[in-house]
Amino acid sequence: MSQMTTPPPVSPPGPWKFPESTTTTTSAGTPVHIFDRPGQYVATVRVTVAMPLFVEPRELEGVATIMSRTLDEGTELHSANDFAAALERHGAAYGVDVSSDALHVEISVPVSHLAPAVKLLAEAITRPAFNVADVGRHVTIRLGEINQEKANAGYRAREAFAAYLFDASTRRSRPTAGTPDTIRPLTNVQVAEFYRNNIGPARAQILFAGDATGVDVAAIVDDAFGDWRAEVGPALETPEPLYLSGDRVVLVDRPGSVQSQLVIGCAGPDRRSAAWGPAAVANHVVGGTITSRVDTVLREEKGYTYGTRSSFAAPRKGGTFTLGGAVRTEVTGAAIGDALRILREARDGLTEQEVQEAKDSLTLTAPLRYEQADSIIQQVASNIANGVPIDFADTYMQRIAATTAEQATAAYREFVGTNGLLVVVVGEAKDVRPQLTELGLGDLIELT
Amino acid sequence: MPLNYPLAEQTLDNGLRVVVSSDRAVPIVAVNLWYDVGSRHEPPGLTGFAHLFEHLMFQGSRNVQSGQHFSLLETVGASLNASTFFDRTNYFESLPSGGLDLALWLEADRMGYLLDALNQENLDNQRDVVKEEKRQSYDNRPYGDSYERLVRLLFPENHPYSHMTIGSMADLDAASLEDVHAFFRTHYGPNNAVLTIVGDVSVEDAFDAAKRYFGHLPAIPTPPPAPDGTIGPLTEVLRDDVTDDVPSDLVTMMFRLPPDGTPELDAAGLALDVLAAGQSGRLNRRLVRDEQIAQSVSGGALPLIGGVSFGTLTGIASDGVDLQKVEEALLEEIEKLAESGITADELATVQAQAERDWLEQLSTCAGRADEISHHALLFGDPNRINTRIDHIRAVTAEQVQAAAREWIRASGRAQVTYRRTEEEA
Repeated sequence: MSQMTTPPPVSPPGPWKFPESTTTTTSAGTPVHIFDRPGQYVATVRVTVAMPLFVEPRELEGVATIMSRTLDEGTELHSANDFAAALERHGAAYGVDVSSDALHVEISVPVSHLAPAVKLLAEAITRPAFNVADVGRHVTIRLGEINQEKANAGYRAREAFAAYLFDASTRRSRPTAGTPDTIRPLTNVQVAEFYRNNIGPARAQILFAGDATGVDVAAIVDDAFGDWRAEVGPALETPEPLYLSGDRVVLVDRPGSVQSQLVIGCAGPDRRSAAWGPAAVANHVVGGTITSRVDTVLREEKGYTYGTRSSFAAPRKGGTFTLGGAVRTEVTGAAIGDALRILREARDGLTEQEVQEAKDSLTLTAPLRYEQADSIIQQVASNIANGVPIDFADTYMQRIAATTAEQATAAYREFVGTNGLLVVVVGEAKDVRPQLTELGLGDLIELT
Repeated sequence: MPLNYPLAEQTLDNGLRVVVSSDRAVPIVAVNLWYDVGSRHEPPGLTGFAHLFEHLMFQGSRNVQSGQHFSLLETVGASLNASTFFDRTNYFESLPSGGLDLALWLEADRMGYLLDALNQENLDNQRDVVKEEKRQSYDNRPYGDSYERLVRLLFPENHPYSHMTIGSMADLDAASLEDVHAFFRTHYGPNNAVLTIVGDVSVEDAFDAAKRYFGHLPAIPTPPPAPDGTIGPLTEVLRDDVTDDVPSDLVTMMFRLPPDGTPELDAAGLALDVLAAGQSGRLNRRLVRDEQIAQSVSGGALPLIGGVSFGTLTGIASDGVDLQKVEEALLEEIEKLAESGITADELATVQAQAERDWLEQLSTCAGRADEISHHALLFGDPNRINTRIDHIRAVTAEQVQAAAREWIRASGRAQVTYRRTEEEA
């Protein structure tokens, strides 16, 4: 036969649910959520600890990050070098992540080596040594990392965006991992104190995903974490963020840039809001994919960019909407003009067809997103950090599926362009400045 | 652990190799095509063409409108993309299994009939997009041109691996529509590709579907093979010292390595892992933890099929430390490994790490489909995905030392350094 001239039909998929878990608790009272995923030979084990960053002392911001990064750098039982060697000998990879509301410490490890690797994970979390030299080294490494961040256009744009979207009283207006003036004074004394005051079994939840066939995961976890005895009460609740509003343009000079890095955005909903699902649908239409309204013009029609993406994102309290990407220096003004026009026109309404396609794409990709053990853990840990049920993905998918075009438009209108849009440009200021002035977007704030 | 992913293989009459691995655990299916065309196949003057097609293949074909490839697949829940490398290009999508026919129809339409839609307008537009990609990924980031500089040093002029996949913008600018059409006619056809289908479909249904959509496509004349890149270890030190506005001083060394698919390459890769992988690697222990002369170290092998591979070691100097000290420490560790070999414990560690990496790579239908295409296209044997761990486990400490002694030496390396522009007084 020859080539068909029209696309073949697609048979609809069956219903989908987020993978189910069983929950136990350790002898220390820490909840343990076990996702048995046959065929996932590499397991992820993660400990998520409620750790709101606003409790960091203002003059020591970044102490939570340095504390987190030195958990495995020497314990009561192993030196830093010996700990790494022991863990890696089991084929495990170890990582930490600090977000605005939680600390995540995880290993991925072949299930065949689960027990000894979990023992080491527990050692890092429950018995860190915080030696002077190891903490000092991480302070130095963080200072070097800040130099790298300053040279990275994307990082600079996100940093300036946070600084001008949030009021200075909001922790998120400043970098999670601290700045040179708050990092330099840190010693192991403050790091250990922060640990003592903030990390304990009552604030933690332990997650496992992987092929648990013939493995008593609950017993292995209890053997490692059951005797964790740190007297730390519940974490404080993260306060609501304070946003700045109005149309503003921030230009960060980055001499030698051959592109301008852009972030355009404003406040957005968080998971407590009824808009959280509908906003995701609207975002998909406006800037969430290569076929979105923004990239259809900026990339496919005009060739200004390799690609832009927008998203609504939120930690526990208070979200953001951002559109980000890099455009050629000479067309910076034109690209921003087009982007703002498209973002504002979307307030006039999204079509039924656009919204239906976005809903289909968002709901039907769910089974792909949670195929891997690690991706399940990331989702569940994020749910815990953000204060929603561990199977929130099901609720979220139901809300998306039920979203009408009117609701998607309304959710978008509630945020995007309502209290102004903040435009951040990182690039060659002398070339970009006149283009921005020509656009007449209001006050221009210049940073070097 | 022994792996036993099921594999079934057929070659259609037009030469398309089809590999199917049925897995009913999740209701999705992964479709993955590897074309035997990468940057190593590009003749001088046509660099960047394989990658340019990675863009043009989404601009429509005989029965598919521009942009429709993405929109049709996205609305049925697909995740899709493409990538280009030295040895090949690949095109792939994962989606709920009811969309298998749609995915195959779209892939077949662009394999057979892309040129019906490839006109001057979308060539010009995607050339602009590629230039922005180069600015974003290479030119506008610190050290972004390091690999371009290194492969130019490491390989002779016009060697198939002496240029990067992004290619030369001058070559792209000079390309006519006819050059682009000719490149497609030469390389894109059923007998120059492997199609892999993994997931929630029976073997029989998958083969039937492959035949239904690809069976009628005509074979193309056998494409010219890539030039033979066989070349031994470098026997001199070739340097490129750059002074630039970089955040920290950095040194990267690049070594030629044996070609992929040989025990020697596996051994050389493990040697680089002993030096640079993980937190327990020798370089991290010494340079970052003990002496604190480096902020970070990294490295590893990059396996290639065309007669030679390469590997790298990178160190970023700590603030206020002379980069020369980092370079000297790297060279000392390289020579120590070549002279004294590795311990049984080090070998067991890097093997265990390689095993986890591999199991993770195979843990999704998409990842498995990619490796099946890879091993079917480049080695003619998809079952290598099941034996890969055994190959890694079979490498001995003696083999690691022998490979290091021959290929990873202070006296045979290409090296680029970046030093910060001196502040004006």
